[in-house]
Amino acid sequence: MIEQRFKCPDCGEIASFYGDPGEQMVVSCAACNSKGRITIPTGGQNNNYAIEVSHLKKVYGDLTAVDDISFSVKTGEVFAFLGPNGAGKTTTVEMIESIREPTAGSITLLGKDVRTQFNEVKEHIGILPQEFHSFERLTVRETLVYFSNLYKKKTDVDEIIQSLDLTSHKNMLYRNLSGGLKQRVGVAISLVNDPEIIFLDEPTTGLDPKARRDVWGVIAELRKKGKTVFLTTHYMEEAEYLADHIAVIFKGKIIAEGTIEDLIRHYGKSSTLHIKKCKNAAEVIESLKQEGYDEVTSEGNGDIAIKIDYKERVLEILSHLRHDCIEYESLDIRRSNLEEVFLRLTGSKLTEEKQ
Amino acid sequence: MNIKIVWMDFIYSVKGWYRSRGGMFWSLAFPVILILLFGAIFSGVGSSKYTIYIQDQDQTEMSKALNATLNATKLFNINIVKTDVNVTSFIKEKNIKGLIVIPKGFEQTIKNSFVNPSSQVNLSFYSDPSDQTTTQVIRSVVSSILQEMNKNLSQGKTIIGISEISTITENFNFIDFFLPGMIGFTIMQGAIYGSIERNTKYRKDGILRKLLTTPITRTEWILAKMLFMMFLAALTTALITIIGILVFGMTVNITPLVIIILIATSFLFSGMGMLIGRFVKEEETADTAAGAISFPMMFLAGTFFPLEQMPQFLQTIAHILPLYYVNEGLRNSMIYMNQTESLINGAVVIIFAAVFFISGVLLTKWKED
Repeated sequence: MIEQRFKCPDCGEIASFYGDPGEQMVVSCAACNSKGRITIPTGGQNNNYAIEVSHLKKVYGDLTAVDDISFSVKTGEVFAFLGPNGAGKTTTVEMIESIREPTAGSITLLGKDVRTQFNEVKEHIGILPQEFHSFERLTVRETLVYFSNLYKKKTDVDEIIQSLDLTSHKNMLYRNLSGGLKQRVGVAISLVNDPEIIFLDEPTTGLDPKARRDVWGVIAELRKKGKTVFLTTHYMEEAEYLADHIAVIFKGKIIAEGTIEDLIRHYGKSSTLHIKKCKNAAEVIESLKQEGYDEVTSEGNGDIAIKIDYKERVLEILSHLRHDCIEYESLDIRRSNLEEVFLRLTGSKLTEEKQ
Repeated sequence: MNIKIVWMDFIYSVKGWYRSRGGMFWSLAFPVILILLFGAIFSGVGSSKYTIYIQDQDQTEMSKALNATLNATKLFNINIVKTDVNVTSFIKEKNIKGLIVIPKGFEQTIKNSFVNPSSQVNLSFYSDPSDQTTTQVIRSVVSSILQEMNKNLSQGKTIIGISEISTITENFNFIDFFLPGMIGFTIMQGAIYGSIERNTKYRKDGILRKLLTTPITRTEWILAKMLFMMFLAALTTALITIIGILVFGMTVNITPLVIIILIATSFLFSGMGMLIGRFVKEEETADTAAGAISFPMMFLAGTFFPLEQMPQFLQTIAHILPLYYVNEGLRNSMIYMNQTESLINGAVVIIFAAVFFISGVLLTKWKED
C-alpha cells in the first residue's frame, strides 16, 4: 500500500490516496466533489511532485496579492511561473521559499510542509532571489565558498565555476562584474549545495540579449541534469524556450496552466500560412475563397495570410497553389505564440519591451 | 549552533572590510587623523587666570589678610579648602595644580617674631612640577607678596617663608580627555553604520532573503557580525591607544573593565543601528538618520570637551545619552584610574546595551511581509 497525491483537475485541491502500485480507482474530490479515475503509479517514488501548492493566498490589507492558487511542479521539470510585473509571482515564490508567511493555503517542498519543516528542506533547495546582489568585496570564488560552507553537503566549487563559465572571472570582486556575470554568479550560488530544486526569480531581468542567452544556457543544462527548476519570469520567449510546464499568473490568480502546446492549443489562434510577394495575389485570394477558404487576407505587397484550422489543410492549399502555378518569393507557417495566448487571456500585453 | 559557520562568516567580513577603503578610513584613518589634529590644536592651551586653592588652618586675622592680599592681585581664582580636608588626597582627586596651606599658628608666630626674631613660619605650596607655567606664576606671585609682608613686619628678615611640595598627581590635559572619547565615538559609528548596512542594503540586495533559505541560523549570523564588530573595536582601541602612547606620551591602562565596556558598546550601538534600519528602510535615509542621532550625541556626550563647559540643561541631557557613559567609563578606567566610577558607568552601558540590542534583535523583521 503506498500513498499517492493527486491534484484535482477541476479545482486544484491536492489529496492523498492509498493503494497498491498499478491499482486504479474512482475517487471524488473533497473540495469540489468532482469525480475522476486515478492510477496509483508502479515503482519508483511514491510522490513525483517536487513542489505542491494548494489554495495559497496572500492578503495585504485591501489587496489580495495571491488569490487562492494551486499548482504542482513535477520532479525534474522546468516550471515557468509567467506573469506581468505585479501579478504576484515573487510573492508566491517567496512564500514557497518560506521568506513570506502565507495568509492561507499549504505548500510542500519535496513532500515536507514549508511552514513546519522548512529547516529540513533548506539543504535540498537553491535560491536566486529577485534582484540579488551578493557581497560586494568578495571574489566570485570566495562568494561561492562562503555560501557552500553554510551547507552540510559539499560540492566542488571550482566545478560549478567551470560549468557556469566563470573560470576567468573567479578572482574578480563581485562588485566589479557586469550585470550578466553577476546573475550567473547568483545562479552559481544557488547550486553550491547541489540542490534538488532550484528557484530562479527573474534571472534575466535587466540583462542584455547575449547575457540572457547565457543564463538560458545554464538553465537548459540544469534540466539536462534532471534538476527541478522553478523559474519566475515576465518574458514569454524565456518561458517558451526553457519551460516544460507553464503557469500564467495574472492579478494574483493562475489563469492558465499546462505545457506550451497545451496553452497554445487551448488559447492560441490557429496557425497561419504566409505567402510572401505573390505575383498574382488578387487572383490567388479569389481562387482560394472559391475553394471555401474563408479566412484569406491580403496583407499588401503581394503578401497573403491564410488561417489554417488543422494540419492537413496545409497540403491542400499547397497543392491548390501548385495547380495555379503561382509565383511567390517564400512560404512560411506561423504558429500562435505565448504572447498571443496571453493577449487572448487577459486582453493586455505581457511585457512592455524594455530592450 | 555551528561555530564553524560563525567563524567563516567572521573571516569573510574581515576580508570584505579590509578591501573596503571606506571601511578602513572610517574605522582606522579617521580617528587617527582626529586624534593627531585635536591633540595638536589643544596642546599648550593655558588660561590667563590661574586657579589656586587655599586651606587656611589658622583662621586668624593675619591669615585672612594674606588671603585678601592674594585675592587683590586679581591673578588668581581663589578657592577655599575646608580645614578638615586631607590635602594630599584632595589634590589627587581633583587634579589640582596649586594649593597653599596656611599652617595653624601662623598669626601666633608672626606675633612672636616681634619678641623673638628667629621665629619663622612656612606656608606649604603644593605644586604640580609637570605644569611649570602654572607653578612658576603662582610661586613668583606668592613669593613677592610674602617678601612685601616680611619687609613690613621685620625690615626684610624672613618671618614668613614658603616651602614647596611637589604633588605627584598626573597632569591630565586635553588629549587624555579626548582619547577615550575618540575610541567610544569610533566604535559607535562603526557599529551603527555596519548594522544599518546589514539591515537596509543587505535586505535590498536580497542577501537577507537568500540567507533565510540557507541553513545559517539567525543566532549564528548575529554572533558572527558581533564578533566582527568586536574585532573592529579592538583594532580601533589598539591603534588609538598606540598613537596616544607614542605621539602624546600618555599613560593608558587597558583594564578588564575597559574591555567589558568596549564589548558592551559594540552591542549597544549595533542594536541602535538595527532599530534605525528597522524603521528607516532606505539605506541612504537610514545613514542620514544615523548621522542625525550620532552626531549631536557625539558633542553632547562629552567626546570632545568636558560636560562642565556646557550649560546646565545640556549637561542634564548628556546624562541620558548612552555614549556619555561609554566615554566616562573608558576615561575613568583608562586614564584616571578611577575604577569604582568606571564600574558604575560600565554598568549603565551594559544596561543600555541589553535594552538596545535585545529590542533591536526582536524588532528586526527577518522575513518579508
